Amino acid sequence: MRVLLFLGSALMLVGVAWALLAAPTELFQGAPQRIMYLHVPSVVTAYVALLVVFAGSVLYLWRRDPRWDRLARSSAELGVLFISMTLLSGAIWGKAVWGAWWTWDARLTTTLILWFIYIGYLMVRAWAPGARGARAAAIIGIVGVLDIPIIHWSAILLRTLHPQPTVFRPQGPALPPSMLIPLVINLVAFMLVFAGLLLLRVRQERTLDALAETLEGSA
Amino acid sequence: MRVVRLLVGKDLRLEWRGREIVSAMGLLALLLAIVLGATRSGPEAAPAAMWVTYAFGATLGFTRTFALERDHLTALLLAPLDRGLIFAAKALTNWLGLVVVQVISLPLFGALFTETIWTRLPALALPMLLGGIGLAAVGTLFGGLIVQARLREALLPILMLPVVLPLVIAAVGATTGILDGLPVWAIGAQLQLLLVFDIIFVTASFLLFEYVVEE
Repeated sequence: MRVLLFLGSALMLVGVAWALLAAPTELFQGAPQRIMYLHVPSVVTAYVALLVVFAGSVLYLWRRDPRWDRLARSSAELGVLFISMTLLSGAIWGKAVWGAWWTWDARLTTTLILWFIYIGYLMVRAWAPGARGARAAAIIGIVGVLDIPIIHWSAILLRTLHPQPTVFRPQGPALPPSMLIPLVINLVAFMLVFAGLLLLRVRQERTLDALAETLEGSA
Repeated sequence: MRVVRLLVGKDLRLEWRGREIVSAMGLLALLLAIVLGATRSGPEAAPAAMWVTYAFGATLGFTRTFALERDHLTALLLAPLDRGLIFAAKALTNWLGLVVVQVISLPLFGALFTETIWTRLPALALPMLLGGIGLAAVGTLFGGLIVQARLREALLPILMLPVVLPLVIAAVGATTGILDGLPVWAIGAQLQLLLVFDIIFVTASFLLFEYVVEE
């Protein structure tokens, strides 16, 4: 865990430095385009976090092992963190390049709605502690992921303005290596930090649960 | 089917005697229609006003249908029934309540926003029915989920509204198209989304409900 966090942070320093100093300036967007080196890794990490929530929720409902619930809960917190970073970095970029902090674009809408769904998840955790809250949250974790494609589809019915994917697309990345390398470095760094934080949080939750059990036992 | 009919019958009878839920939901819907109409009442505002009203009416009413069981929820759960059937019955009750709200608020939308509602009524029924089913499915799932939580009246809208947002977007799109005089095939994409939403969430809720209500 400590190794992951250390490695991830170090790699992130390299990636950010590379993105700011070495990567070429984009012709039309100028310097704000460099936000992409943080924006894309955080959104990818956010979606990975939500998939971990989904997997943890399904396994918890199936197996009833509190370990899976701790995994889902910890990952949901990180998911909200990374979605927030995505929304913030995207808004700053949007203001600079589009001239607007926000538009009702499909990707933006989907991400914002996911933020609300997982904030709801965390609120249920806060308001309904114990096994009952864990079960309720697990169902929200499953429904949230089921909702992703539908939200996206509905937002396309609205309209779409977001730049089309340049990296994750069937034909392979369209980004030149000079931009792709710092992006990949940052992506790996974000994943490592996510994994490190996730393990850290799961351990905290485990300690907390153990403490609660001990207190209950002695009372 | 018989079980569902009995359970729905029981809830409807309770509701008919007390008329708590429908009067609360209906009154909220009328108030929302008036508040929204007072602030912006052109025909172009009608679809959004209608769906905001339905969605909020749903969040208010759907917390009550489980609360109405109060201490009897355990009794209901002890009955040797598939939990999916309990979901089906509750969702059906919720949906019927929502239909009542939709119907009684229509004259107000017709009067305050646009008369076109009356000429396009048959086409309008499509998004209203499909959208209502989706709202009832998600609302019943989450309503059951949080029935024992603190602050459940506050929690249901927080959980439900983001999840049903795609449904509301599609329903508003379809309603706009219909009120603009487009033929039904022109809003096929929106209706398709509503249908897919209904299928996914009715199925998912039916399957997940077993985990929602267990002790």
